[in-house]
Amino acid sequence: MGIPSAQFRETIRAALGRQSGPPAEPYDVLAEEFPALEARAEAVRERAARETPELLDRMAETAALRGWNVQRCDGAEEALDYVTSLARSLGATSVARSEQEVFETVPVDAAVAGAGGLCWPAVYDGPSSRTEVRQRLAESDMGITGADYAIAETGSVVVLPRRGLSRLVSVVPPVHLAIVRPSDLLGTLDDLFALRRLEHVRNGGDMGSYLNFITGPSRTADIEQTIVVGVHGPREVHMVLLDKE
Amino acid sequence: MAEVVTRDFVSATQAAVKDTQLRQALRRAGTGFDGTRREAIHEVTPEVWEEWREQARRIKEHTIGHLDYYLEMLERNVTAAGGRVHFAADAGQANAIVAQIARDNGVRTVTKSKSMVSEELGLNHVLEAQGIDVFETDLGEYIIQLANETPSHLVAPALHKTRRQVAQLFADQLGVPYSEDIEEMARIARVVLRQKFLDADMGISGANFLVAETGSLVIITNEGNGRLCTSAPRVHVGLAGMEKVIPSLQDLAVFLRLLPRSATGQRITSYMSMVTGPRRPDDEDGPEEFHLVIVDNGRSRLLADPALRESLYCIRCGACLNVCPVYQRVGGHAYGWVYPGPIGSIVTPGLVGLGQAKDLPNASTLCGACRDACPVQINIPRMLLHLRHVAAEGQGSYQGTGSDTESLFARGFAAVMSSPRLLNLGRKMGRWLLAPLANRGVLGQTRLPVVSRWTRARDLPIPPPRSFAEIWRDELSNSGSDSKRA
Repeated sequence: MGIPSAQFRETIRAALGRQSGPPAEPYDVLAEEFPALEARAEAVRERAARETPELLDRMAETAALRGWNVQRCDGAEEALDYVTSLARSLGATSVARSEQEVFETVPVDAAVAGAGGLCWPAVYDGPSSRTEVRQRLAESDMGITGADYAIAETGSVVVLPRRGLSRLVSVVPPVHLAIVRPSDLLGTLDDLFALRRLEHVRNGGDMGSYLNFITGPSRTADIEQTIVVGVHGPREVHMVLLDKE
Repeated sequence: MAEVVTRDFVSATQAAVKDTQLRQALRRAGTGFDGTRREAIHEVTPEVWEEWREQARRIKEHTIGHLDYYLEMLERNVTAAGGRVHFAADAGQANAIVAQIARDNGVRTVTKSKSMVSEELGLNHVLEAQGIDVFETDLGEYIIQLANETPSHLVAPALHKTRRQVAQLFADQLGVPYSEDIEEMARIARVVLRQKFLDADMGISGANFLVAETGSLVIITNEGNGRLCTSAPRVHVGLAGMEKVIPSLQDLAVFLRLLPRSATGQRITSYMSMVTGPRRPDDEDGPEEFHLVIVDNGRSRLLADPALRESLYCIRCGACLNVCPVYQRVGGHAYGWVYPGPIGSIVTPGLVGLGQAKDLPNASTLCGACRDACPVQINIPRMLLHLRHVAAEGQGSYQGTGSDTESLFARGFAAVMSSPRLLNLGRKMGRWLLAPLANRGVLGQTRLPVVSRWTRARDLPIPPPRSFAEIWRDELSNSGSDSKRA
């Protein structure tokens, strides 16, 4: 069927008129050694911690521009009030959530129950329950996740699907609520990728199977360039932005 | 491979300019996308925009210049992450690879997120012939799949359709009540495709970028269909032209800034998904298998020609289409293959052969708007001129098709234009010959041989009674350049 990769590369080398081997001038970013990478990631972390108040303001502003309903909360209590009122206004009966650390400090299950709904963790116990979980997800009114990172430059929430965090919780239900802690905040895309690269090297070349970078609701402009929200993903996205942990 | 009808370019353009619905659709798109693109550039400031463009250009130059090296790195890292990489020299091989993966996995239903490479390959037909149901899930792609058409724009495949046409199509094909409400149409697509996402055995996606260092496939979408296609089915197949690779994750940042702004003026798209291998054993969900198919299909020909190599830097944003006076009049289908507009007029001859597409490089006024709009500074007009030259004169094994008459005409034109005496004589003769046929100084439609080929689509101004040189000598030379004298 296909051709061996060596043959494919040989065609390319012939087209370029070059010999095999790395570029004569090493590519700066890739030449970076582990200590340098670690130092850069550390600097990113430090800066984000130092600039947290500014990052919170910038995040709130940018995220709102990109279509998030942003709710800044002083602490867990305010956040839970928001979850309850949101669940109530949606008339939510079924709310799916991931299993993440953030729910230990912001226990949303009770908040949803306060609005008369049921909040359940969308995790698979075994292969047999997969179809069941999916069907339940498809019928749920809202999905709640934490954020592994939040990027102020773009107003985005980043989630890294893994054990406890299904890829589908933030995309299948018609409403997504993300809970962002100050420690999740980063300034720029460059910051994010510096940290992911370190993670990649640290884990011996693995950094997980998926990264979801989410900015506002699902939308399309494929008919007459008219923007419609909520095509295949959520039509409504909410961000609870915690001012302190 | 998708059917190539680029030979019909001239007749297709004539039909296109008479299509009033198409013109309506194109007018809306041209002002919409390009207007927001300009706003987005203004917002970050043109200086910063230029820095980004230069940075992106440098990354592409470096990567394409060492493509074999980075593809090897990519393959190594995709494999390390548990994925499989396949290499296809042409469309036939690529289609056979995907068909085999489908057979091996007993696939019956496929959901697809937008992939221009799959359009290039004509993949859907190959899978359908195997008895597999294939569903396009990007709304624009879904529309054109229902209509059995091809995309007419790189990022907005159904741009040529008006809401009425889509409403009628949905009513006819899906049996839903006729509705011109765009929200309602999007809702219908959501409902119909939602079940397909959950049923599908295999998801197929394109790739906006491939990160060599981590072995990741990156897709940028707005609807969420890309997320579902790469998350729900058992098998994920990513398709990519071989030029999509970038060295490092760090390089991705600048492209995420440039691409959405150039494409639709969005500051960032709703979603960016990065796929690195199949699901890990601990993951809640995700495909059991991940395959990446890297496609050449003529790209190595573009790579081998130093004059055309930079066409492989293209990130398929479509900005050059939105600013092109020719694309804006004729739309994407007239170009006769998958890649339309200024960049398509280079890529198409490169991939299908200039012999089949020699009219495309002429589909440009060489105004340079495409070069200015390009986020990776591709010099499109230069390459179009180069291809015109090759089309006439030939290159390597390619025989030019410039006729003796054309060549004689070109030499005559050059001689006249480089001699003031001959130019003046020509002006006088032209006036003497044509003035009796003119109306208010221009020659409109006429049946005169040769001349009629020009006047069919444009007015021919009659040479004036006096040349500029004469006016200058007699009246202007002594009176300063800002003289108001007639």
